[in-house]
Amino acid sequence: MAKATATPPADRPTGWRAYRREIQFLVLFVVLLGSGFALIAWQPVNDGVIVPFTAAIAKASASILDLLGQETTMNGTRVYGKNFAVDIENGCNGIEALIIFLSATLSFPASWKARLAGLGIGLVGIQIVNLVRVVALFLTGVYFPSFFDSSHTVVWQTVVILFAVLLWIFWAQRYALPPRQAA
Amino acid sequence: MSSYSRFLRDVAIWLVPSVLLWIGVTPFYNRFLRESAETVVRLTERPAVTHLYPAPKSETRANQEIHYLVITRDDHSAKKGFLYSVRTTDLHFPMVYLWAMFMAVPGVPLTTRLARTGWATLIQVFFHVILLLFWVKFAFATQLGDWSQAHYGSFAQTFWGLGKHLLDLPFKFGLPLILFAAYYYDWLLSGARGGVAVEPPRKAVSR
Repeated sequence: MAKATATPPADRPTGWRAYRREIQFLVLFVVLLGSGFALIAWQPVNDGVIVPFTAAIAKASASILDLLGQETTMNGTRVYGKNFAVDIENGCNGIEALIIFLSATLSFPASWKARLAGLGIGLVGIQIVNLVRVVALFLTGVYFPSFFDSSHTVVWQTVVILFAVLLWIFWAQRYALPPRQAA
Repeated sequence: MSSYSRFLRDVAIWLVPSVLLWIGVTPFYNRFLRESAETVVRLTERPAVTHLYPAPKSETRANQEIHYLVITRDDHSAKKGFLYSVRTTDLHFPMVYLWAMFMAVPGVPLTTRLARTGWATLIQVFFHVILLLFWVKFAFATQLGDWSQAHYGSFAQTFWGLGKHLLDLPFKFGLPLILFAAYYYDWLLSGARGGVAVEPPRKAVSR
């Protein structure tokens, strides 16, 4: 009986060094993710950047809802309909998905040109999906109020995050540098 | 069909059983999380005073007793009967896309995908217990008004508050991607290799 054994080439690193690229990516990703979320939790950033950005999302959502015949009014990040209102808070403005996408894109081995392209695509794509979420949630609250809670916290959060993750995987598969170039 | 297109198609397919499985196990998993987190929280207390119960039934909110838990302390009472409530189901819905993504990677044997999904799920379970611990401590440290001020200093309030914020948003949503990248990094790079994913070398095989 012969035994066929697959032995790694002599120059192939062993032990944890074999996973150096993976570890490098994961550590950087976790650090950027934590830093990004700590940054947006900081009051001056929240008040100066996040709240105005969220208000812009509320305005865009209200415009779309008006086109759909909802006759909305606005106050800051709140959109009021005849029988229903939503307040777009942190967690509903797409920033979380964007930070996950941004952290993964900056951590992954790719050229800066590819990273910038990825960030542009991610920003636009995630915000479009988030806009659909806000409009859909408002309409759910108006027409199917008993589904609003689950739809808000489970269904649409999953859709937005999954979209961001799948978009990032698409980008990573196409724009990753081959291992030698990345090293 | 490209590797990514197959992956996308299979994610869509695997989402269906993942959602059904998640809906099916949620009542049991919520109970497991509640009891596990209560044990962990009580390990941090002398004397142990915290209890986590299912929320009371509600006429306005369907299945509240399944999806929510309430927090009580033996040494601190509240008019409404509990100090704080948490929607337990919100802690673990990212399992749905973790399962779908892990099972959808093309070119990896089913047994390998199942094993990796199992390990990733186990890591998620530990994470959920820790996340619920942070929710409870966050409630004690910052949500009980004067009682919180009297029992927690500013460092402890920041620690539990920021910890809960970081675990509940970035890491709850990001952990499935972190685990996916850890297990399937070679597949992520396969586009750069012309579509060839590199699996680790197999152990000795007898012929």
